[in-house]
Amino acid sequence: MAETATIAFYLGVIAYSVAATLFFLELARKDGGASRAHWAPRLLALGGVLHAIHVVTASLLSRVCPIDSLHFALSFSALIAVGAYLALRERLRLSALGAFIAPIALTFLVGAQFVGQSSEAALGVSRTLLMFHIAANVLGIGLFLIAGAAGSVYLLQEHRLRTKKRVAAMGSRLPPLDALDSTTHRLLLAGFPLLTFGVVTGAVFSHQLSNPGGAEALRSLLGYATWLLLATVLVLRNTAGFRGRKAAYGTIAGVLCMLLVLLMYVVRASSGGGNL
Amino acid sequence: MIVVVGLSHRTAPIGVREKLVLEAASLPDFLRALVQRAEVGEALLVSTCNRVELVAAGPSGFDSDLARVAEACVDALAVHSPGIAPHLYTHVGGAAVRHLFRVAASLDSMVLGEPQILGQVKEAYEVARKAGTVGSVLHRTLPRAIRAAKRVRTETAIGSGQVSVPSVAVDLAREIFGDLSGHSALLVGSGEMAEAVARLLKAGGAQVVVVGRTLSRAEELANVVGGSARPWSALPQSLIEADVVVTSTSAPHFVVDYDMVSAARRARKGKNQFFIDLAVPRDVEPRIETLDGEFLYNIDDLSKVVSDTLSTRTREAASAEAIVGREAEGYDRWADAEQATPTIVQLRTRLSSALEEELSRSLRGKLKHLPETDRAALLKMVESAVNRLLHQPTIRLRQAALDRNQDSLSLEQLSAAISELFAFDAELEAMSGPENAAPEPEIETADAEAENSGFSLAPKARVVASRS
Repeated sequence: MAETATIAFYLGVIAYSVAATLFFLELARKDGGASRAHWAPRLLALGGVLHAIHVVTASLLSRVCPIDSLHFALSFSALIAVGAYLALRERLRLSALGAFIAPIALTFLVGAQFVGQSSEAALGVSRTLLMFHIAANVLGIGLFLIAGAAGSVYLLQEHRLRTKKRVAAMGSRLPPLDALDSTTHRLLLAGFPLLTFGVVTGAVFSHQLSNPGGAEALRSLLGYATWLLLATVLVLRNTAGFRGRKAAYGTIAGVLCMLLVLLMYVVRASSGGGNL
Repeated sequence: MIVVVGLSHRTAPIGVREKLVLEAASLPDFLRALVQRAEVGEALLVSTCNRVELVAAGPSGFDSDLARVAEACVDALAVHSPGIAPHLYTHVGGAAVRHLFRVAASLDSMVLGEPQILGQVKEAYEVARKAGTVGSVLHRTLPRAIRAAKRVRTETAIGSGQVSVPSVAVDLAREIFGDLSGHSALLVGSGEMAEAVARLLKAGGAQVVVVGRTLSRAEELANVVGGSARPWSALPQSLIEADVVVTSTSAPHFVVDYDMVSAARRARKGKNQFFIDLAVPRDVEPRIETLDGEFLYNIDDLSKVVSDTLSTRTREAASAEAIVGREAEGYDRWADAEQATPTIVQLRTRLSSALEEELSRSLRGKLKHLPETDRAALLKMVESAVNRLLHQPTIRLRQAALDRNQDSLSLEQLSAAISELFAFDAELEAMSGPENAAPEPEIETADAEAENSGFSLAPKARVVASRS
């Protein structure tokens, strides 16, 4: 089984890498050049399957529930982002987002290998609640990653149309602005309850910890900032027409805060404190 | 080989081109009358706004006298439309093939890379096929022309982007809104280009509203583009509802200013809005571009996109010409090798029928006790024997057709020797005729005869013949 996990990991890395390359080549392709774009989502899907095989076999091997360890949770959230992207791309004409999702999936798959694999729950914290906390965060991260990618592509496409540069050269290779905007909004709507649950339960755990350090406080603060930024984007969209470029900036800022929280987890886990 | 006779925007002004109009209904009769001439065996006619071209082949397939075919085509067109003869051009043989490939690939079009021509070539082929004026030469030339054109379109950027201002404008609207159905478009003022944009938006599924200073004029235009009309006073409200705004008035000042758009934007809750300003002097205040979600393209911006696209297409034309050149060379080689086909088919038919006869006699006599499975095995064995026997001669004949400058025996010498040895000179001539140019009829006959004797080698022969 160890061999299966290892082989699936390396093949997954290859599939994600090639998919990411093909997505970028498609964006950079001159009109009329041979398009290999149709292979990119297939390879991404293959990468996702291998990724899933790796997560399942590795977790069985180490007898850790996939969402009970930072190692697997990070990996799993990238897997969710890949699945959501593949499900949405055809319907919402979001193929170009693959250029963001594939590298993210690759980073999370590889990056998670460097994180400690301990699954010990923090002392004094309800294990059941912790499981729900992680599950909600993993799902939320997956959705927000795509939202962040959609927001980034929105800014690229908006800049291109506004500056009127490369209009003829790029053709209609990037998704329409409205599709990107509504996708970002829908993903935020779907992920926000999960984020709220994650922040609330996180606050409870933080309170239960006997001696939270400065890093813990900063992490909580960034968690609240994420929640506040994304909540602001959602509220202002409905009340003040806060959409398009501003909404994209707000979403990206929120997702960056979320990634900082993740980074802090990773740094802590890598330095020996492998708990979630 | 083929000839191309015709005229185009390069050789004839519109006044001449419009003289040479062949109605779709009368085209099959025209083509049938043409192939009834002794000099012409096959013909089709490509007819577009910018060109009318006859593509024809002689009655003896690849061995026809092309000069006579060309003369007959010129005569047919000149008789149909007197006065056009000085404007006609003629391409013969390899030059005609290259010309046809270039036309299909849109390299000879008025708008380089325009996509319609390929469909028009396909349609011309289909019309001629139905009229029964396409034989073995055109049946094998047109698919190659179409394939070359498809390669050009997929492997180069010759067809990239849009080359008309209205199409560019609507493409940009799609880049902002995606599918246009469910979106609303506002046309302010009138004008030919604005009307064209409105028509394209309507065709894309958008609801079109026309606002004009004169309501009756707006109503008239609304009827033309399939929209509804509103008075000038409804402009501010219409701006709120419109996702795409096309302006084309002759006003000497801005008719849509920053404040109007700003107010509309608030009412639209920040939804994206696309302004297409086709007027000179401009109708829309450029400052609106500073507002989030407001996109403005004026006539210069759109023209620049068109110009960029045309530049790209021109750059790509060199690659496209190279593809066409390679495809035409491939055709030349194939056409050379094709000259060996009548001999090969004749040889195969002769061998097959001899063996068929002998086998049939045996199966009726000494071997009549054989069960079906054994008969089938015997048949297979005989087929294999024919293939093995003919393998080397086939290669040698095709090689001789291709290597015309070699010191070895030429195709003509080999064919003559084979004809002499097997005594089928008369049959060979018949095979090259228009009605027998495609090998199928011969094979069908062999097939029918063979069926009477209870077995057949013909299916295999048909495959080989059609490949060749």
